[in-house]
Amino acid sequence: MISPADQAGHASGNLIDPQALMAIRSLEMRARVVVEGFWTGIHRSPYHGFSVEFTEYRQYTPGDDPRYLDWKLFARSDRYFIKKFEDETNLRCHVLADNSRSMTFGSRGISKAAYANTLAATLAFFLHQQGDAIGLLTFDEQIREYLPARHRPGHLRHLMLALEKPPGGAATDLAAPLKRIVEIVRKRGLMVLLTDLLAPIATLEKNLATLTASGHEVVVFQVLDPAELSFDFTKAALFRDLESGRQLYIDPDAVRADYRRQFGAHCQAVEATCAKLGIVLRRLTTDQPLELALFDFLRERMNKGKLVKRRAA
Amino acid sequence: MSFLTPFFLLGALAVALPVVFHLIRQTSKEQTAFSSLMFLLPVPPRVTRRSRLEHILLLVLRSLVVCLLAFAFARPFLPKADSTGLPAGPGRRVVVLVDTSASMRREGLWADARARAGAILRATAPEDIVAVFAFDREVRRLVTFEQWTSTAAGQRAAFAADALGKTSPGWNGTQLGRALVSAASALEDVRTDSGPLPARGPRQVVLISDLQEGSRLDALQAYEWPKGTEIIVEPLKAKKPTNAGLQLIADADENERKPGEALARVRVSNSSDARREQFQVGWSDGREFVGRPQDVYVPPGQTRVVALNAPPMGAVAERVLLRGDDESFDNSLALIPPEAARVSVLYFGGEPATDTAGPLYFLQRAFPSTRRQVVQILARAPAAQLLPTDTGAPLIIVTDTLSDERTASVRRLLTGGKTVLLSLRNQNVARTLAGLLGKESVSADEAKVPSYAMLAEIDFQHPLFAPFADPRFSDFTKIHFWKYRRLDATQFPGARVIAKFDTADPALLQVPVGKGTLYVLASGWQPADSQLALSSKFLPLLFSLLEQAGGLRSQVTQHTVGDTVPLAATNAAVRVTRPDGTSLTLGAGTAAVIQTDQPGIYTAVSGTVTQRFAVNLDPLESKTAPLPVEELEHLGLPVTRADGKTLVQATEAKRQLANAELEGRQKLWRWLIAGALVFVTMETLLAGWLAKRSEQPVQTA
Repeated sequence: MISPADQAGHASGNLIDPQALMAIRSLEMRARVVVEGFWTGIHRSPYHGFSVEFTEYRQYTPGDDPRYLDWKLFARSDRYFIKKFEDETNLRCHVLADNSRSMTFGSRGISKAAYANTLAATLAFFLHQQGDAIGLLTFDEQIREYLPARHRPGHLRHLMLALEKPPGGAATDLAAPLKRIVEIVRKRGLMVLLTDLLAPIATLEKNLATLTASGHEVVVFQVLDPAELSFDFTKAALFRDLESGRQLYIDPDAVRADYRRQFGAHCQAVEATCAKLGIVLRRLTTDQPLELALFDFLRERMNKGKLVKRRAA
Repeated sequence: MSFLTPFFLLGALAVALPVVFHLIRQTSKEQTAFSSLMFLLPVPPRVTRRSRLEHILLLVLRSLVVCLLAFAFARPFLPKADSTGLPAGPGRRVVVLVDTSASMRREGLWADARARAGAILRATAPEDIVAVFAFDREVRRLVTFEQWTSTAAGQRAAFAADALGKTSPGWNGTQLGRALVSAASALEDVRTDSGPLPARGPRQVVLISDLQEGSRLDALQAYEWPKGTEIIVEPLKAKKPTNAGLQLIADADENERKPGEALARVRVSNSSDARREQFQVGWSDGREFVGRPQDVYVPPGQTRVVALNAPPMGAVAERVLLRGDDESFDNSLALIPPEAARVSVLYFGGEPATDTAGPLYFLQRAFPSTRRQVVQILARAPAAQLLPTDTGAPLIIVTDTLSDERTASVRRLLTGGKTVLLSLRNQNVARTLAGLLGKESVSADEAKVPSYAMLAEIDFQHPLFAPFADPRFSDFTKIHFWKYRRLDATQFPGARVIAKFDTADPALLQVPVGKGTLYVLASGWQPADSQLALSSKFLPLLFSLLEQAGGLRSQVTQHTVGDTVPLAATNAAVRVTRPDGTSLTLGAGTAAVIQTDQPGIYTAVSGTVTQRFAVNLDPLESKTAPLPVEELEHLGLPVTRADGKTLVQATEAKRQLANAELEGRQKLWRWLIAGALVFVTMETLLAGWLAKRSEQPVQTA
């Protein structure tokens, strides 16, 4: 189960290895490294030129505000044109980071939480540099930290500190935090959800629907550990559920096939649900470089932009 | 090999512990945290090489250590042939005394008693000699010492238990003292027997009884308990303590019953350990109450007297029932009031009954009718014919001269055993006196009395005057005799002068004639002769005379179970019906008595005469509260074990003691501990060597 993005990352070879990245202690520094590396790469990318600005001329009709008349054009063509600007609003983005216990699992030295937090920091740093307002919500079974979307000096720092707090919650309960964020954030914007989506599919669908129903654009990064995909344990042992604490004696050799089948089914169900709800779903494993995630994110944004352009045309 | 504390052998089960620990360790050693178990199902662990036992030798060594320790703690010893049972010697002599009194009829007591007796009998050694006695009012020997010894050793207990099974609690009272004395003497007798029985050995009386308060111990008061005879008390405990009993109160009133007076009075007594206090008493038809019963409140250990009025119309007032207690064996009372005895006194006198100065007038008033007896004076003229009923009168009084023919018939009665009182009213009566004595003549001159004569020299030893022997009553000087006839005592051979006048002339003589007795009064009691009839001595004197004549019998008003009841004497065969409906026939001429064995109403039919009498339970049987064993100790009885330990338990304790002694001498546990230490050392060495061997390949790798 190796994604195309993964292949691209491994092929390029100049991406930062997550193991090396996690060696950097400061979260902010990690984000900076990822974003700056990304910038160096992006200048060469074919998708250069992405911008939110757009202008349009429209013939003046009586009643229009004369302040927006393009006098220079009038001087050239002796016609009245209204110079119309694309409504240049800053993107309001909220990063929703799952900090439940199940996110503390990590078989390759990097926990899913650390990976997800670095990704959150990276996105925040990147969007902040672009001048977008960025907010943060960390949660387990309830909301732990909430920072409203702002673009202010020092806001990024607060955000980084909030992300550095260790995960303390127990279970994942998407319902309560998502409902709460929908209530808090009235203005429509972008919601980036970083979670492992390890919950029964029925509840997941209901919870994600609350987010999309309120008009937000939703991007979900499903952060998984490679061991969760492959279940490559060798010793029979007592397995303990990180969230519920339930213990089960399991012989991995005996259950691996069954586990993979069930896990695959779950992933497919998640994908189907996201597709149905119009949610962009990206699956990341903790051994994938973070730039790929950022790259995917931007590509999605651009596609969206293209879509908008096409509609406007 | 035997063990002193065999329960420690369970410790050998600890052998399994190393194996169990090994298996547990294998299953729960590693724990892996995982994000979510929602896609996993539990799988039982497959047995791999790891869960198999390695180092079998080590396991065996450790198991051996555990086993040896368990063995050592169990204190093993090698029993010697002679130390298996009790110390050898002459066997015990035991009398098992089993209570079969009415109080043993209470629920579960008899079964318990039999079980205890069975256990005791089974616990006897072959050299023991045992007798089984049952007791209530009497002692019954169910199994004698001879029967015991003549039975094969293996079958003795069964034989004795069988004999005990044939008996059951009766209705009798408890003569505990008598039974103990009898048992002790039986044990003594065995000792003096010069047969093959052993002369020495411990003597024991095992008493299996409910030991109720009502047990009679008076026989022990004057008995010196033989030394060396031990009493083992096996007290039986009733399941339900509340027991109330009924007792009929004897009617002390001599007068005739007044209308509206209570028909009977019963005493309701409650046992001192009772839990209930409310009872009901009423007339009964044998099973249920007839009419309304009375509510009685009797606190534990107390008694209340209940007056029972006449039962409702149509019902027979013969049975009283008590309800409200736990035990029913003593809740019924039979009640047949004794009929007044009819006594007739034959009187020969010339004067009419209405003559207030005649002797008959006073005589008729001297015998009032009471509840006990009705005395009838059969007054006959001196010349009248004797009727057949007249011959039944025990006492004949003569105050007048009789014809020769009549004198002869009275003399016949006198010599046949009757008592005759002859009052010498005048000189003429002396002829009759002579006729009665079978003499030609007797001199009885009129005495010359200056003013009056008094009784002096009275023989208070004589039964007639015995009631007056007390100085308070012995003053006869107030009775003045105006006239009397002088008799010469020498005329009467064998005569005894009971009283003399102050003139030294005999006043009252007793002369034996044939089987009968003739009393001769030298005067008369009528006022013309003396003040005797008007004195307070007259009535007791007459009653005393009637009693001497055999007319008054002391009557037993109540019978308890076990009493011998005399039946009305007739010549025909007597058919007796018992309360339970069974009947027996006593042949004519046999002693007309019956031994009662159950409470209730007995009916004896003999020809035309029907006699009914009530027999009740001994009231003391209702006192069912347990008697403290200290009571027996106060009487000097060596009660050794009254702590609820049975004989079997006692024997077991003795055996344990002997075993402990033997084990203390042998001390096998020391060797076992030493062996365990050796094995521990071997285990340590082996484990060290194995650990080194398993480390070496790792180091080289």
